[in-house]
Amino acid sequence: MELKVSPLVVLGVAAMGLQAQSPGTYLLRDARIVRVSGPAIERGSVVVRNGLIEAAGPAVTPPPDAWVIDCSGLTVYPGLIDALSYWGVPAANGRGGAAQQTPAAGPEDRPLTLSWTKAADQILPADRAIQTARDGGFTSAVAFPRGNIFSGQGSVINLAGDRAGQMVIADSVAQLIALRTGGGRGFPGSLLGSIAYVRQIYLDADHYKLAKAVYEKHPEGLRRPAYDRALEGVLESSLVLLPAENAIEIERMLALARELKLKAVLYGAHEAWREVGLLKQANTPVLVSLKYPERARDADPALDEPLRILELREKAPSAAGALAKANVKFAFYSDGVGNPRDLMRSVKKAIDAGLNPDDALRALTLTPAEIYGVGNRIGSIDPGKIANLVVADGDLFSEKTKIKFVFVDGNKFEPLPEELPARPGRGPAR
Amino acid sequence: MNRLAWLALVSLAPAFADAPVFIQNATILTVTNGVLRGSILLENGKIAAIGERIAPPAGATVIDGSGKYVMPGIIDCHSHIMAEAINEGSVAVSSMVAMTDVLNPGDIAIYRALAGGVTSANILHGSANPIGGQTLVMKLRCGANAEKMKFEGAMPGIKFALGENPKRRGSAPGGGPPNPALLRYPATRMGVEDVIREAFTQAKAYQASWTEYNAKAARGEIAIPPARDLKLEPLVEVLDGKRLVHAHCYRQDEILMLLHAADEFGFKIRTLQHALEAYKVAKEIAQHGAGVSTFADWWAYKMEAEDAIPFNAAVLVRKGVLVSLNSDDPELIRHLDKEAAKAVKYGGLSETEALSLITINPAKQLLIDRRVGSLEVGKDADVLLYDGHPLSNFSKVLKVWIDGRQYFDRDQDVAGRPRKEAEKKALIDKAAADQRGPARQTP
Amino acid sequence: MKCLLLLLPAVLLAAGNEDSFLLRGATVHTLAGAPIDNGSVLVRNGRIIGVGKDIAAPKDVKVIDARGLQVYPGLIDAATEIGLVEVNSVRETLDTTELGRFNPQLVALTAVNPSSEHIPVTRANGITTVATLPAGPLISGQVSLIHLDGWTTDEMGVSRTAGLHLRIPFIQTSARPAPFDDSTTAPVAGAPPNAFNAAKQVYDRQMAELNEFFDSARRYRQAKDARTPEFRADLKMEAMIPVLDGQEPVLITAIREREIRDALAFADKQKIKIILCEAPEAYKVTREIKDRAIPVILGPTLALPLNEDDPYDRAYTTPADLQKAGIRFAIGTFSGTASLSSRNLPYQAAQAVAFGLPHDDALRAITKNAAEIWGVADRVGTIEEGKWADLLVTDGDPLETKTQVRQLFIKGKTVDLDNKQKQLYDKYLHRP
Repeated sequence: MELKVSPLVVLGVAAMGLQAQSPGTYLLRDARIVRVSGPAIERGSVVVRNGLIEAAGPAVTPPPDAWVIDCSGLTVYPGLIDALSYWGVPAANGRGGAAQQTPAAGPEDRPLTLSWTKAADQILPADRAIQTARDGGFTSAVAFPRGNIFSGQGSVINLAGDRAGQMVIADSVAQLIALRTGGGRGFPGSLLGSIAYVRQIYLDADHYKLAKAVYEKHPEGLRRPAYDRALEGVLESSLVLLPAENAIEIERMLALARELKLKAVLYGAHEAWREVGLLKQANTPVLVSLKYPERARDADPALDEPLRILELREKAPSAAGALAKANVKFAFYSDGVGNPRDLMRSVKKAIDAGLNPDDALRALTLTPAEIYGVGNRIGSIDPGKIANLVVADGDLFSEKTKIKFVFVDGNKFEPLPEELPARPGRGPAR
Repeated sequence: MNRLAWLALVSLAPAFADAPVFIQNATILTVTNGVLRGSILLENGKIAAIGERIAPPAGATVIDGSGKYVMPGIIDCHSHIMAEAINEGSVAVSSMVAMTDVLNPGDIAIYRALAGGVTSANILHGSANPIGGQTLVMKLRCGANAEKMKFEGAMPGIKFALGENPKRRGSAPGGGPPNPALLRYPATRMGVEDVIREAFTQAKAYQASWTEYNAKAARGEIAIPPARDLKLEPLVEVLDGKRLVHAHCYRQDEILMLLHAADEFGFKIRTLQHALEAYKVAKEIAQHGAGVSTFADWWAYKMEAEDAIPFNAAVLVRKGVLVSLNSDDPELIRHLDKEAAKAVKYGGLSETEALSLITINPAKQLLIDRRVGSLEVGKDADVLLYDGHPLSNFSKVLKVWIDGRQYFDRDQDVAGRPRKEAEKKALIDKAAADQRGPARQTP
Repeated sequence: MKCLLLLLPAVLLAAGNEDSFLLRGATVHTLAGAPIDNGSVLVRNGRIIGVGKDIAAPKDVKVIDARGLQVYPGLIDAATEIGLVEVNSVRETLDTTELGRFNPQLVALTAVNPSSEHIPVTRANGITTVATLPAGPLISGQVSLIHLDGWTTDEMGVSRTAGLHLRIPFIQTSARPAPFDDSTTAPVAGAPPNAFNAAKQVYDRQMAELNEFFDSARRYRQAKDARTPEFRADLKMEAMIPVLDGQEPVLITAIREREIRDALAFADKQKIKIILCEAPEAYKVTREIKDRAIPVILGPTLALPLNEDDPYDRAYTTPADLQKAGIRFAIGTFSGTASLSSRNLPYQAAQAVAFGLPHDDALRAITKNAAEIWGVADRVGTIEEGKWADLLVTDGDPLETKTQVRQLFIKGKTVDLDNKQKQLYDKYLHRP
């Protein structure tokens, strides 16, 4: 069949290079379409053109220029989104803030603060993790810089591209905060200091904003406020991610967010099932880690673990289901787990512990998009949205399911064969 | 929802939570109004009645107190339990940090302290800094969340530390060659004083800068307010008498140094903590109006503890100082009653004076004595039931009420052990089975 | 000349009279039978020569009226650092821990400082004998028993080499929590434990080295007995011989159940006499301990449970558990820091009484049992004829805090109950 190639497509081909196929026009025919934004379409078609979803429905007129892919027996989902990701982000190098020859002597030295940096400026398109994730059905990630207390600003990126700029959907969506310490060198040296530091930064930011405004209107006779890029970075971020794994931390961070009037999202959430009431009341979305707490592989068999820890482990997979039941907005994130298969297993565990599969899928697609303000661009199969799709031969959360191909920005990718686990008898003789 | 982890070892039996409690025919040690054989009624969170011949109201849970003793809940004036961090030691002045930010209501130490009769505790920052972090008073309402455990209305505090601990980071460990980058001023007691004076000098300047700004704003002048400084604000609160100072100290020279400095800056030291040489300067302490919260008989673990004497509390009491005994330790907190008995042995305090050291005295030091510290009608029903006299080494706590709600019951604790063990075993077995379960790697 | 000769016996008598007396009118708790009301103890030259209801006062001994008072054997702290540690934070005053892992030849006694302030402070509450322990990662030296009185270490010694101290190797997967000090950051809760397999390998190697050391000691003994010409004396090996011969027990510090079982297995394998030391989890191994008739020196009763989920009174009830199982045990205060100091030994015993230990068993744990376990029962531990007159005179039960010590005798000599703390008290009480 004839493929009409528009000049735009030619440009696209030149820009994308050899790895991806050019963003052409596709018709995914006779598929089961799980839209997420509405009920599933048992049998229908999706049209992809110019990197966007042009149409999706039970009766779609096939465009004459579309490359037809027969998807009978297959299911089309929105591409999965990792709601807090380091895929594509280089490892943290050195500490933030001023050159650290001398340890920080207090909050004024802005220790462990790189609030102005953006993940979008650091993305390594060739990072292997990106391809691995994409092969597993992830088409987007909300990438954050690593390390520090004020780690920097997260960017929503698509998981395919030759140049970082092409991958970015939104360059600054939230500030990531982690309650780290200076590791024995300077302030803060403890959780006490880290929290006090965050508090002081936000007070300083308020003052900075006020001082700049007053000075701008009337500089005469006033001392000028010193430029502070740490505070500029903080003021740029309207959304803040705060760490909270167990119930105590959840309460603590909700109280901090309330005190500092922050628009916050909590991440971790292993014990969120204990705090659904408070979370609902605070209207705070939650990012649920898919790395459940586990007994160490090489733990001492005689080690007596407290009941508290055993319960935390036992109950962690049920957090998502509890949040769903309480109507608290939540999304899943990889929490450093690199293999999408393992992530899907964790999701399956959550489903087994009471999470509705539809809610599970939403937590990997539309909800993260909405949390970060890009819900009108990705996260569901709707005309006009970016063509990020994953096509599988069954239920995404089933072990047996294989992912056939993935679309990112309307480009089609086929996953490489999964590496087989090492089997005895193979490999070099010892 | 499995509440076991939150409720520690005891089921709270919510059905009884707010029913009145009537302990009858016990020996009641009120601490402030003598000893009587009679009964006590706890109702609506308060002590409703005490008397030799009173009757239980309808619906009350009646407890037979014959042969048993009742006393007020013990108050520990120096504790680091229920805190996920204790020291922000990276800087000499860490007044910007607050214990309230790091509370851990799930700390097992809470239940264990409760089982030893402690119902309220002064949760302090550690002693790594001449000026440490902000402190607060908590009630050991085991099972509640952090917010609900706070002692409502108790004035907040701040921790100071003098002597060996805050100057430890001023020299290299083991006396080796110092790496300046890793040392933190001060290294001497002189420096400790300097840090405190410098900080309060800055606090006064900060206070003045706000006064100046407020005046300008009132006059309608254009001005940028001072940046809020979380380090100096608690110190201004100290100057304004709105935050209590609890100062860890040992030697008489540093005690006097602090009292003089406080006098010069115009604030009071609320309590001298540990203060093992306080007996040497009891006069000056009484004159300043500071209280002392000390150990019953610790000594010899540091040079500054060399002149510690177990008669410290008795001497101070005789010289008119308000004295309490504290634990500063998650193990010692469990037997402060036995520590109080040492004040009888060493220095001849009466039994009531000894009991005061762990009840009404710390309550007064923390300005919570209108609510707790003695068995008086109208006070909070923070009450202990013992199977013998609290000052006897052969007695133990049987039940603990806070605000009239039972938080510890030895019988229930003991009875609940097999079930708890079984639950734990079930979880362990289940986790082991899951581990061995379906193959995790599929081709 | 004749006058001098006449005077001489008087002088001799006077000199000898320091440690000879008749104590009478008190309730005497011999711990070798029922207490004797209105009892008497006759002491001559430092030894008890009579205990009973009515003992006539010999003409040449002074009579001490103890009416209304109680007499007990001097208390014995079965494990301390007294004399070896003065101020915990000052390195120069610490003498418990030498370098090296195989030091059986080291002896605590001669490192004891007779001027240690801990001595007058401790004996002021009725403790007359303590075992003082070297400490270290493996074989740290020999435990000595000392009286808390004497001009020199020679005079103080009760048993110079009472036992060999061994810390049984253990699989170290997590750092032992440091003793509490509020000047440091709180220990990180849930710090990841070290890899078990790696730790086990280290432990296996240590056990192998330990067993090899014992084997080499046996080879040494054999060579010595055979008088082989190449034989050279080796101090470490010499120190092992009494242990191998079963004449000196090995005090094995073992904390967790696994370590305790290892200690028992080691004793079986090496065919040595042992005493379990600290052993807070001994309650999990009572049958095996009892079957081997192994005694236990428990650590302080006033201690936190080892595990978060342990009953809150776990340490309080362990003495009663051992007593019910028929295991002989004593109590030691060990590091003696802060409130664990040796003078509070009786209160460690008392806490166990509050939680189920019969009162007299508690008393025995800090007197008779301690003496028996340390092999000095022929000299101390009870009030019986032939033993040293280590006597504690009180106005009440020594296990109760408000009890005051009225008098103390070590080897029949009146012990000065004064100490620096009492002097400071007196001085500053009277500061104008």
